[in-house]
Amino acid sequence: MRKGVILDSRRNGLMIDAGQIALVMSLLVAGYATVASLVGASLKVPQLTASGRFGLYTVPVLVSVSMIGVVYAFVTHEFSVRYVAENSSLSMPKVYTWVAIYAGNAGSMLYLAMVVSILSVLAVFHLRRRQPHAAAYAAGLMGLMLMFFLGVMVFLANPLERLPVIPADGQGINPLLVHFGMFIHPPLQMMGLVSVVIPFSIAMGALLAGRGGQDDWVDVARSWAMVSWLIMTVGLLLGAWWAYTILGWGGYWAWDPVENSALMPWLAMTAFVHSIMVQKRRGMFRMWNMVLIIVAVTLAQMGMFINRGGPVPSVHSFAQSTMGWLFLLFMAFTLLGSATAFVWRLDSLKSREKLDSLVSRESMFLLQNVLFLIVAFVTLWGTVFPIFSEAASDVTITVGRPFFDLVNGPILLALVFIMGVGPLLPWRRASVRTVVQALKYPASAAIVTGVVLVAAGLDKPPAIVAFATFALVITGIIHEWIRGTHSRHRRGDSYPVAFVRLISANRPRYGGYIVHLAIIMLAVGATASSFYSVQRDLVMRPGDSATLGDYSFKYLDVRSTSYRDREESVAEFEVHKGDSYLGIMRPFRAFYPDANIAGTRGAIRSTVIEDFYIVASEFDEDGRAVFRVLINPLVWWMWASGPLLILGVVVALIPQRQPAPATLRVPANVRTARA
Amino acid sequence: MTNHGPMKKGLHTRHRRLWGWFAVAVAVGIFAAACALSDDISDNDLRIQQLNKTIMCPVCPGESIDQSQNQLSAQMRSIVSEQVHEGRSDEQIKAFFVERYTQSVLLEPPQKGFSLLVWLLPPAGMVAAIVLLILALRVMRRSANESPDDIQETVSLSDAERSRYFARLEAVLDYEEGDPTMPKDWNEEGSNPGLAKERSDD
Repeated sequence: MRKGVILDSRRNGLMIDAGQIALVMSLLVAGYATVASLVGASLKVPQLTASGRFGLYTVPVLVSVSMIGVVYAFVTHEFSVRYVAENSSLSMPKVYTWVAIYAGNAGSMLYLAMVVSILSVLAVFHLRRRQPHAAAYAAGLMGLMLMFFLGVMVFLANPLERLPVIPADGQGINPLLVHFGMFIHPPLQMMGLVSVVIPFSIAMGALLAGRGGQDDWVDVARSWAMVSWLIMTVGLLLGAWWAYTILGWGGYWAWDPVENSALMPWLAMTAFVHSIMVQKRRGMFRMWNMVLIIVAVTLAQMGMFINRGGPVPSVHSFAQSTMGWLFLLFMAFTLLGSATAFVWRLDSLKSREKLDSLVSRESMFLLQNVLFLIVAFVTLWGTVFPIFSEAASDVTITVGRPFFDLVNGPILLALVFIMGVGPLLPWRRASVRTVVQALKYPASAAIVTGVVLVAAGLDKPPAIVAFATFALVITGIIHEWIRGTHSRHRRGDSYPVAFVRLISANRPRYGGYIVHLAIIMLAVGATASSFYSVQRDLVMRPGDSATLGDYSFKYLDVRSTSYRDREESVAEFEVHKGDSYLGIMRPFRAFYPDANIAGTRGAIRSTVIEDFYIVASEFDEDGRAVFRVLINPLVWWMWASGPLLILGVVVALIPQRQPAPATLRVPANVRTARA
Repeated sequence: MTNHGPMKKGLHTRHRRLWGWFAVAVAVGIFAAACALSDDISDNDLRIQQLNKTIMCPVCPGESIDQSQNQLSAQMRSIVSEQVHEGRSDEQIKAFFVERYTQSVLLEPPQKGFSLLVWLLPPAGMVAAIVLLILALRVMRRSANESPDDIQETVSLSDAERSRYFARLEAVLDYEEGDPTMPKDWNEEGSNPGLAKERSDD
């Protein structure tokens, strides 16, 4: 008996020790890879950079060994490991190991290190032949990032640290994290934030290699920027969806500090994936693109700082610790370093082309970039202002949703407008006639939409303007598609074939259009539900009936079940819309007395037109219960935009065969400068 | 495309356009119906909901009492409701909570004193950024005109001609990327009047 126990703990010990050793080794190897890559690159010694590269390739393997150690400790309830004791318990289902891994500070660092190391290897592998010199610098920079995460773990927050006394049971996991939404959203969000370092390292690598002004690295950086953007976007969408279905207030976005911290780098990356196209196509905005990617990585690090027990309190923050300040320091280091590199290599970033006109696609791109950055900085300003106000005037001010809605709302709408107009303008220069021609249909559609909406009795001007703008964007895109498909159809393709060929002929452009459509779907849902959501808070007893809009609903009963750690209540509603019976809806609420936390799950009947949403706010002892009932119009479109958005990004990312040099028949009587 | 082209095309396109506009109107109508709900919510209830969204739950930072699932928020919501029904104004109700939980209980920063700054900076920054943007664009453009290999020095095209030329060039380049099936003669495209034809008028 006793022998068995000893054997058991020895076996565990082996796995955990192996994990420990691998962690330390990964730091050493990452350190070597960094030094070898940077020194090799600056002295131009290919053997050394190759060695550094191979060093980098082994880091994910070593980090995985540590990860296996942690997973093993969780699965075997090895409470001698501090992290396991603090983030799990015997009663925790084993599948939540995955959640527990990132739920605490040390574990999330390990997860981040793993993500960064894998992405780094893929990116360096992608870049090494195309841009050997830049790839070496990039590998060095990625190594530096890795060293930060690994170093913090080895010296300050070791996920495999042992406790002197082995507790009988662990402290358990935060009950709000025990939800299937938590399997994807937070890890994806964190992955999105750290993935910004990949395009950043590529761009900085090119800059350090003196190739910032050559545009041959742009394709690789653009691909990785879009991957990063996609991860962040899906993370944000899933977060909103999780909040909508679980947090139980009928909304999905609250301009909370943690939400903001995820949004800010997303905004900067959105600007970057657009303006990098100008560099790809026109060889312009080279300095600007560097600035953008530096801003993006800074905001991403700021996001990690705010997430990790930064100075701004939030309901979403987890993995709380004083480690946040380290992230701030690291952010300052990155910002300072990249700014220095930028200034040092400024000469190499001169534009190939000059701007021809203020009215052109280029200038629209720039305007869009600036507006995105303004939204990002307004968000940052609102998020950190409470700290300033506390320091300056002793009065704590809260900057919440009303501020952000009011200030960012109009700018975001302006961005949607530019999204409609920009792609229709030609590069270089647009004459008045071109602009009129391009906007003829979109503008008419916007006017028709406005008129129809006013006629239908909508009375909120901002919403009407917003919807009209969305119509403008959609019409612009659809019109381009129809025109392109037609012209191919006339040359003999059937309509579907013509459409597919149109899309695949210029994937960055048409993939972009697909993403734009998805964004409009998102915007339609967000606008409709922010302006026209109808809500009612009701106190009901079993047997009571009430109505909201066309819906009538009867509260039948509530069933409560007690568990060891929680009390679950499921209410039953019989719901009718008009005369038709919609069935039984069951809002759910769980209360965890130990943690004093309530978790809810709204009962949602979702249609393309509107969501009917019941959420249980409270159950009293005497049978009374408080319910919130909402009708949220068009919310379905927000969630439906996700798949379309992914499709668009994938289309834009599929590598295109390098086109043969364009042969263009220029009319004989036009002379060009190069002729 | 022959001379009969435009007439035949005109009929077709007119029909198609009519249908197109009809589709737009119907789609918009459906969406409008989704939003134009007959809201039977009383004015008091609407006010309560609005107020709930501007008051923060003191124990769950960042969350409004409207969204918070906390017990305290539920109590605060009922206080708001009570006071609205007693006929107190929005300002009075907010003041009631500020008195108990300090200014930080309001999610919207006041537009006076130090926190006026939070409201003033964004518009100021916006104006500054737009001015900078315009200046930057002008500089970028001016240096283009001074450039020695500027196209205007060797080619005498009017602005309109240039824009059409480049639009055409752009279309061809867009079309060509990865697509070997480019039409043999671009001047046959009916939609865009041929540049060569126009030039020959000179």
